[in-house]
Amino acid sequence: MLLDSTFDINTTKLQSVNIPEETFRSIEKFLFKEAKLLDQRNFWEWDKLFTESGMYWVPHKHEQDNPFDHISLFWENRMLREVRIRRVENSRNWSQQPQTQTAHLVGNLIVEGVDDQGHLVVSAVFQITEWRLKLRQLAGRYTYKLATQDDGDWKIQLKRVDLVNCNDVFENLEVFI
Amino acid sequence: MIPTNEQIAELIREDSVHKSVYTDPVLFKLEMERIYGHAWIYVGHKSQVKNSGDYHTTRIGEQDVVMVRGSDGAVNVLYNRCPHKGAKLVADGDGNVGKFFRCPYHAWTYKLDGQHLSAPLKSGFEGTCYDPKHADFSMVSVARVDSYRGFVFASQASYGEDLKTFLGGVITSIDNLCDRSPVGEVEVVGGIFRVQQRSNWKVFYENLHDTMHARVTHESSVDAARGEAEAIGEMPFELLIMDGNGEPYDFWEKLELRAYTNGHGYMEAIFDPAAAERDVVSREHFECLKKAYGEERSREILGMNRHNTVIYGSGSPHTVFMQFRVIRPLSVDRTMVEIQTFRCKGAPDSVFDRALTYANVINSPSSNVMPDDVEVYARCQEGNMTRGGEWISMHRYAGKDITLEDGAISTNGTSELPMRNQFAAWKKFMTATIIAKESTHAA
Repeated sequence: MLLDSTFDINTTKLQSVNIPEETFRSIEKFLFKEAKLLDQRNFWEWDKLFTESGMYWVPHKHEQDNPFDHISLFWENRMLREVRIRRVENSRNWSQQPQTQTAHLVGNLIVEGVDDQGHLVVSAVFQITEWRLKLRQLAGRYTYKLATQDDGDWKIQLKRVDLVNCNDVFENLEVFI
Repeated sequence: MIPTNEQIAELIREDSVHKSVYTDPVLFKLEMERIYGHAWIYVGHKSQVKNSGDYHTTRIGEQDVVMVRGSDGAVNVLYNRCPHKGAKLVADGDGNVGKFFRCPYHAWTYKLDGQHLSAPLKSGFEGTCYDPKHADFSMVSVARVDSYRGFVFASQASYGEDLKTFLGGVITSIDNLCDRSPVGEVEVVGGIFRVQQRSNWKVFYENLHDTMHARVTHESSVDAARGEAEAIGEMPFELLIMDGNGEPYDFWEKLELRAYTNGHGYMEAIFDPAAAERDVVSREHFECLKKAYGEERSREILGMNRHNTVIYGSGSPHTVFMQFRVIRPLSVDRTMVEIQTFRCKGAPDSVFDRALTYANVINSPSSNVMPDDVEVYARCQEGNMTRGGEWISMHRYAGKDITLEDGAISTNGTSELPMRNQFAAWKKFMTATIIAKESTHAA
């Protein structure tokens, strides 16, 4: 179930960790690649960056504890991410005519630590310029739980997006942030 | 120029309305005075202000108001204005003011019912008309405040029908929402989404019971949900609630639309007494209610399977999935919707989980369903600014509905009865004789 409270969303109680410079660079490259896939609306490839159980979460409240007892702007597993992709790519997607266009700027990468399952937790600040009929700025901090892969690459176990204005009045948010 | 009542009445025909009701800023201003200045408008739920001093700010029409729990336990609704210089006493949002309001500008203070408490250096008022007991020096309360089962409404007019009479038969939807709790109480929890739409407020009300738009406007999300269900080999709740809009026309034709006086109404889903035994959540809910109410009554409560209810001027409760979409007009072409989610006190956690999921999937700004609605509303708003025609059609099944003492009932679920009924109420409020407010000055 979507509100399965056993999913570990903790990104604050962590073991500290030191990582080599080349690992840091590989994470940076991974996040830049992710941002580019979003900007290119290559959403199916973007979704593949998640683990099978990976979650995409945009809290509605500042410092929101969990998605289980409070609403979220997004709380999506693979099924719901795929539904969103299918909808925005549907030819009768009236609200995507014209399409939303984005430019993501990702920086200030920080390694936060390691969680109980051994995921590396990193965070980065983002700025997104979004256009559909008019410009909109979105900004905040991404926090990722990353799982190492056999090929040395990364997968996303959790992408948490804390918008500076998470509890604001919003017009529709149609594509992934 | 303010139109005469005769001119306003001519905008509403039996089967169509003039497009200016959506686009004319003068009419919008009149709506704020004549509809939002008179009708009972939902302010919020008592559970949002549990303790003395708790407040919640919102709007009645274009008026900023604050709902606050008094020290005597009563819920007051006051205009958010300090009578000294006019500053809003509390910032927008929720919080607790303590034992009294204290203006951040010059520290004038007010009791929780708005009564003047004190002002610094009172000697400075000697020999003036300053009178702490005079209404000019207190916060102003909205003229009438009443509540029904925890739902707080206010009317800016001191006269007119009482809340229960105003709500009429639509009160049964509030009852059903509360009765779904084994102790008969609900509470607002889990946060409130706020979504802005680029369209006039009335379009949203009309759309709530517009069964003919569902499979057309929502084709993208219906296709997406069905495609995904096929890919994963099942149709879980999250997909089911998107899939529903894709029902064929004959499904919608069978639904019942009920219209009540004052623009209210509801749209009924097909009565299904067996629903309680189908899915796990409903089963658990039924078992819980059975202990409190007995089997027959529980079946009756969960069997009242309504889709959107309309409380005209306030918004739309959804009794099954425990939501209240509160509709706040911002300007002639901007509308804000506040989406509240309720917990049924004493009901299983799964019932709240389902309500929260429904809010996230259907009512969130990130909903896959709503953007296509919002887009077509905006297109109506823009299209109606062109010279391409003057009137808006509400002809479907006009003259075919069955008139009842307190409203009407459709003979076909695709009837535009709800729109005609809403505009009948609109015309009644907009052309009513206005009783002038009394004014007394301290001097």
